[in-house]
Amino acid sequence: MSKQKFIVKSNFKDIKNFAKLIPQRKAMLKSGSASPVPKTYPINELAKLNHPGKMNLVIDEIIEHSPDMKSFIFKSADGKKLAPFRAGQYLTLKLKIGSSIVTRPYSIASTPNNARDGFYNLTIKRVPDGFVSGYILDNFKVGDRIEAYSPEGTFVYEPIRDAKTVIGIAGGSGITPFVSLAGSIDDGTCDANLVLLYGARTSEDLVFKKELDDFAINEKIKVVYVLSDSDEEGYEKGFINADIIKKYAPEGEDFSIFLCGPKAMYNFAGKEIEKLGIRKKFVRFELFSSATKATEIPGFPMEKDGEKFNLTVKQFASQKVIECVANESILVALERAGIESPARCRSGECGFCRSKLVSGEVFIPSNTDGRRLADIKFGYIHPCSTYPMSDITIKID
Amino acid sequence: MAKWDVVVIGAGNGGLSAAVTFAKAGKKVLILEKHNVPGGYATSFKRGRFEFEASLHELSSYGCVPGAGNVRKIFEELGVHDKIEWSRIPDAYRMITLSDPDKIDAIMPFGVSNFIDKMEYYVPGSRKKMEQIFDLCERLTKTGEFFGNISSINKDLVSEVLDEHMDFVRVAPYSANEILKAVGLPKKAKDIFNAYWCYLGVDCDTINAIHYLGLIDRYINYGAVCAKGRSHELSCAFQERFEELGGTIYFNSFVDKIVIKDGKAVGVQVKGRDEIEYADTILCNAAPHNAVAKMIDPKDLPEVAVRQTNARKFAGRGFTMFLGLDKSPEELGITEHCYMIYDTANTVQQVKSMETIEGNNAQATCCLNNAVPGCSPEGTTILYFTTLYTADCWSEVDERDYVKMKEYVGNKMIDNFEKATGTKIRDSIEEIEIATPATYARYADAPQGTIYGYNAEKWDGIVQRLLMPASDDFIPNLYFAGGYCAQGLGFGSSYTNGYQTAKRVMKKQQKEAAKA
Repeated sequence: MSKQKFIVKSNFKDIKNFAKLIPQRKAMLKSGSASPVPKTYPINELAKLNHPGKMNLVIDEIIEHSPDMKSFIFKSADGKKLAPFRAGQYLTLKLKIGSSIVTRPYSIASTPNNARDGFYNLTIKRVPDGFVSGYILDNFKVGDRIEAYSPEGTFVYEPIRDAKTVIGIAGGSGITPFVSLAGSIDDGTCDANLVLLYGARTSEDLVFKKELDDFAINEKIKVVYVLSDSDEEGYEKGFINADIIKKYAPEGEDFSIFLCGPKAMYNFAGKEIEKLGIRKKFVRFELFSSATKATEIPGFPMEKDGEKFNLTVKQFASQKVIECVANESILVALERAGIESPARCRSGECGFCRSKLVSGEVFIPSNTDGRRLADIKFGYIHPCSTYPMSDITIKID
Repeated sequence: MAKWDVVVIGAGNGGLSAAVTFAKAGKKVLILEKHNVPGGYATSFKRGRFEFEASLHELSSYGCVPGAGNVRKIFEELGVHDKIEWSRIPDAYRMITLSDPDKIDAIMPFGVSNFIDKMEYYVPGSRKKMEQIFDLCERLTKTGEFFGNISSINKDLVSEVLDEHMDFVRVAPYSANEILKAVGLPKKAKDIFNAYWCYLGVDCDTINAIHYLGLIDRYINYGAVCAKGRSHELSCAFQERFEELGGTIYFNSFVDKIVIKDGKAVGVQVKGRDEIEYADTILCNAAPHNAVAKMIDPKDLPEVAVRQTNARKFAGRGFTMFLGLDKSPEELGITEHCYMIYDTANTVQQVKSMETIEGNNAQATCCLNNAVPGCSPEGTTILYFTTLYTADCWSEVDERDYVKMKEYVGNKMIDNFEKATGTKIRDSIEEIEIATPATYARYADAPQGTIYGYNAEKWDGIVQRLLMPASDDFIPNLYFAGGYCAQGLGFGSSYTNGYQTAKRVMKKQQKEAAKA
């Protein structure tokens, strides 16, 4: 080691100053207040308000649009403020149905300001053969207490990223995030223009029509109803295609397309949007309302359809063996067995259900493989978008 | 007998490296982590077709060859190095000032001689002084490592210091700028040399010279790296190694109580679970503030713990904007990996202006593609912009204005980046995510959303902390590791601190066992 000498002030002063370092710090540490260390700070409280984790809600009101579609007005059940959210986000409800524990995400139809006023509206449509939506529509009653996870989701208008005008394409229960967006444009929370293309079979099927017509008085909001099965005056006829989008798009300026609707709509409108040749950054989809049968997923090994396997689940210090089936996601197997697992989006995206695949073969559809690079490398899966292809063992915590 | 030898609270960088160090020594270790991923801030997240790095800009003290750099040595010793696909950072930084009359725009490379050459190019006549500084840096780093490894002060140590480490002794009482002044470095060279201050969050009149010069040495001498799979890969690699060594990790397990019996820490309790995880040693990777304020029953707290916790100041509160762009870095004209953009090269003024949301125009912006080619799909770019707030200004933001305030800062960062670099990025934004102090407050339960632990005040610099390695040991069997501790904030520092704390604790326990 070099013995070159570096002197700052003088050898004596430097060493004297060095000798002070420890006593100085000791004295400073001792001089701290003896009153209790603060447990929290305003910004930490804002973080808790925004992301409370689980919320205890109570059903305050139910509005029946049809036997197959109802709006549920939720209020806080424990006096805590409702978590704020951004138009387009969803709540995840956690339910115990029979021996199953399930979670389901639902877009919030009410506005962020409504949450500040104390309520959320979730408008839920019966999914044919759906396990949870049917249960909710037939069983939820005023006064029921429901557990929900705080609002999540990225299907939101971002002024820095998106064009000034949003072309919303909605169908079925996919209308709900747009009702929220229209409301928040109308009350000034969100600064954007909305052209909503709302597809339905007939005008009878247009839930929220009155609310939307009221919003459309605002010059920033335009609503176009597109009916596939009936020809009525004042409505567009057909499916939402490239021509209709072009017809209502702002001239000579960029626009962002936001799409939320049933599977058939994704398939059709998705191709129509491609025809427009607009940049990916201007097209956003909300995935979760598009439930797909496993056997319809491209690449699904059909020979495994219906095959049953053992699923060994390690959770903390415990271990359980349950049944699973090739054409149902691992998350569904966990839910059926009543095992609580931290799932939210159910579409492979959010990562809350991330679990270690200890052993076994699985099928992961590439279009819903939302895993991080290192998770793929180190053998993690998202059970909500993973199908068992053999006996498997997972660690879920 | 306790069920575990060691329970580690939190799988952040300090927690993970301590856990692996304990496990490697044959200890039975349990990690309890509140999230469902390891790493704390060392993680990643996906938006659309982009996977964003959550926090790491560049990992320092990680040389090209085995044994080069202190952090690399630790990764190798613990058996983590080979589990990671590494990528080297090309250049150190490009520093640009926005408002100084004498505008700086300097691209500085890694490698001591390259760095000195480049400085000579920007500031003719600076060479000799720079050589003197790097010569000093090298000696100080060696001594710094020596001090980082001490567990107590004794006679042998003193004589070794007198023999080998007197430069360290003479430099340690002073700030970075006091040393640069003593060397006589020209002002402009000093300004460029000080660019890294934002990685420590303290101005160069305040930051301890050992801390700053050590940082320069770790970066410039050894270069820097990152993991191809983002820092999530680092965290997963640590976790895998930990489990190979027989360690147990439970996710979704938020520890809300440290159990104290007869004045000693004996176990921890996970929120919502009845059973207590008993252990001989509790290693807390959560903020000491949280342990003292929330996890330990006040009746079990010695007054000294309360006083010294209250005495400490929080360091920078974090803010990061993540952008996925739909053009390549070449198309955008983004040539560097790391841009340090400041209002002024005067670090004291700069730190002062960062006390308010409006006044803050400082940012470190990284283009991940220029460190990890192919990290995003072809024709796209990942950029992330980080700044710090040197006061708790975000606490004054009302919930109703919160989203707008995020946008305000995001817009300002984009404007400042475009202004500084002459590039145009605004029209190419395909994905955006913004993390504010509230985000960090939520994610790591960080008081005020600090991402830098305790501020390295003049009296609380890392020299003093390293000289008092046991100053946080206020309850027997309870130890702290991570960014709030001796080595200070940062990835390399936290890994080092976890490793050294585990070693220190085991050494102490061996001594105690030998006595008994």
